[in-house]
Amino acid sequence: MARHDPLLPNAAIVARREYVDRVRSKLYRISTLVLMALAVGVALTPIALRYFDRARVDEIGVITADDDLAAATVATANGIMNIPPPGADPKEWTPPYAIGRLLDRELAVSDLAAGRLDAIIEVGRLADGTLQVTYRTNGPADGVKAQLAGFTALSVAILDWTSSLPPGSQLGTFRTPAFNTESLVGPVENGQAVDAVQVASRGFLGTVFIILMFITILIYGMWVATGVAAEKSSRVMELMISAASPRQLLVGKVIGIGGAGLTQYLAIALPVVLVLAFQDQIARAILGAGGAGLPTGGLTLGLLAAYGLFFLLGFALFALIYAAVGSFVSRPDDLQTLSLPLSLVAMAGYLCALVVLLGSAGTFARLTSLVPPLSPFSMLARLMVSTVQPWEVALSIGVLVATIGLVAAATIRIYATGVLLYGQRPGIRAFIAAAWRAH
Amino acid sequence: MSLEIDGVTKRYGATLALDGLSFSVPRGRIFGFLGANGAGKTTTMRICLGILRADAGQARWNGAATTDLPRRTFGYLPEERGLYPRMTVIDQLVYFARLYGEPADAARRNAHHWLDRFRIPDYADRRAEELSKGNQQKVQFIAAILHGPDVLLMDEPFTGLDPVNLSLLRDAFVELRDAGRTIVFSTHQMEAAEALCESLAIVDHGRLVAGGTLGELKRTSRARTVRLGVEGEILPTWLAGIDGVAAVRPAAGFTELELRPGTEPRDVLSAALARGALVNHFEVAEPSLEAIFIEHVGRPSDVEDPPPIDQEHAA
Repeated sequence: MARHDPLLPNAAIVARREYVDRVRSKLYRISTLVLMALAVGVALTPIALRYFDRARVDEIGVITADDDLAAATVATANGIMNIPPPGADPKEWTPPYAIGRLLDRELAVSDLAAGRLDAIIEVGRLADGTLQVTYRTNGPADGVKAQLAGFTALSVAILDWTSSLPPGSQLGTFRTPAFNTESLVGPVENGQAVDAVQVASRGFLGTVFIILMFITILIYGMWVATGVAAEKSSRVMELMISAASPRQLLVGKVIGIGGAGLTQYLAIALPVVLVLAFQDQIARAILGAGGAGLPTGGLTLGLLAAYGLFFLLGFALFALIYAAVGSFVSRPDDLQTLSLPLSLVAMAGYLCALVVLLGSAGTFARLTSLVPPLSPFSMLARLMVSTVQPWEVALSIGVLVATIGLVAAATIRIYATGVLLYGQRPGIRAFIAAAWRAH
Repeated sequence: MSLEIDGVTKRYGATLALDGLSFSVPRGRIFGFLGANGAGKTTTMRICLGILRADAGQARWNGAATTDLPRRTFGYLPEERGLYPRMTVIDQLVYFARLYGEPADAARRNAHHWLDRFRIPDYADRRAEELSKGNQQKVQFIAAILHGPDVLLMDEPFTGLDPVNLSLLRDAFVELRDAGRTIVFSTHQMEAAEALCESLAIVDHGRLVAGGTLGELKRTSRARTVRLGVEGEILPTWLAGIDGVAAVRPAAGFTELELRPGTEPRDVLSAALARGALVNHFEVAEPSLEAIFIEHVGRPSDVEDPPPIDQEHAA
């Protein structure tokens, strides 16, 4: 008969102490408030940028010696660059660009240099008759504006080419074509492919989620490691280890500190999620009808639940290993060195997820989304931007849970040995030996 | 009804920490567990508590393996002292008692009783980091006994205590013993062990080298203690240089000399007289525990054992 050490109530008692100890600390409260404010600020940034930009009208001058070409360029640029957003009232909507012909090139260039003009579209003709369009700005060109100028150039060229049609031919006004992208492996919502705008939006959100997961797992994992190391260095571990089993202590610590981390995470994430979920409404309220269409569409409860689940499983896996690392150091200072390999493993998961977010949908994405400890990052990324079969999700979760069980068993042994080690520099051999043999 | 250490062996890699150690502690007694640093005392206590597993042999309480018994059977005051620095005294006392299965209310009441008993009732709501080392030690002692353990294992409980607190702790030992608790403690303070212990075990390099009641140890000892006074000399340090003298302790009006086994008291007297000393006091006393310790271990108890410092912790 061996000593009966059930997990409860001791794991719960330890978890409660760990949780209360952290949540009550001033540093925790202040950092939570600061992070919450920062996160909400970041979530509102797109709206804020557009708010401060709302009254701004870019002045663009068209310079060309050819009157017909000038008229065509102004009309086409207006048609392409000044498209009202869906739902906007044309009477109240202010076009973001004021485009007109300028006759004095020297004056226009000097106005551009002085900041009185935002850009110049200069249209000329080469010796072989080819149109030459230059989009000139004072400083680096804005990517979107340059792209719109490029479309304008292409459209003017088409108009110029069609002007050579036989006399009597009739052409209607040039209309910008509807443009969509589709992917065979793109995400599906309620049996329907998610549209390209939402896919792009999910890519953005996916990046945010993966970065959040990476940072929080590292931070809260280090909390666990420093918590164990501090108990050891303050020698209170000697009392603890006689009052409770390593399993009770380890599980309690991971749950308690994880709970404190999760509380902080929820305190930060909830207002952000609310801001993101109602971003269109907030944008409309502040910016009017043209404010909709910000890059956070496609956020669903299912995706949020997936994020929560993979965050918890990922945290549990990493926190257990961090606890083992913490149990092996005699001073908290040694943690930085010893936890570096673990940070690199988390970094590998983060990079895999970024590759998936950038469009990898092949064997690499499938494999990394099933193999812990990469899977929490990679599977979440796949769920954000592509179609994942339910069995794949179930398999990924199953493998992750089984791995957590195995890691927990090894970690308890390492922890039981590690907490009694003082004055030694731990190495990988010591870890493996501790995991394999009883203390 | 006793705590039995039965043929316990423990090895840390190449180092043999315990080598078939055996002794027994009668129930309801105060037991001194003596040995130099690194002799195996902490390892023995950890094996009793189930923190470490013995390679061979067994620790038993009332016939049952200690590893099978509930944790609350034992109370432990480790040599390495430590509390949660930012937690209040009362909160951590209740916390430890709850881990041992005590209800929170009872633990709180009991904690206040012991804080009163140790004259630190006002420190209940203070953080541990605000307490002096001596007071922290008293709090740790309370943490070890709050759940009412049958056996109390204490590693160097008197280290760092001033005489007043030492006396309080000794009184607590006696009170607990009278309440039927079995108390085992290690110490390098031989006077404290001699004053408190009814039975003792002396270990060296993981082996029992002497054991029994204090009377038995003194009766069977070959060590001799001589009290010698010299006219006009308060601290005759030259006594330490006499052949066969193992240790010298100044006392009121005389000097106490611990003699090595085989050294006769008259040889010391002759040596002193030969040096021309005016001897005004000469007495052959019962051997002190210090003398008995030196007789069996070969050096005073506070002298380090040859193996590495962390041998008890080495994995």
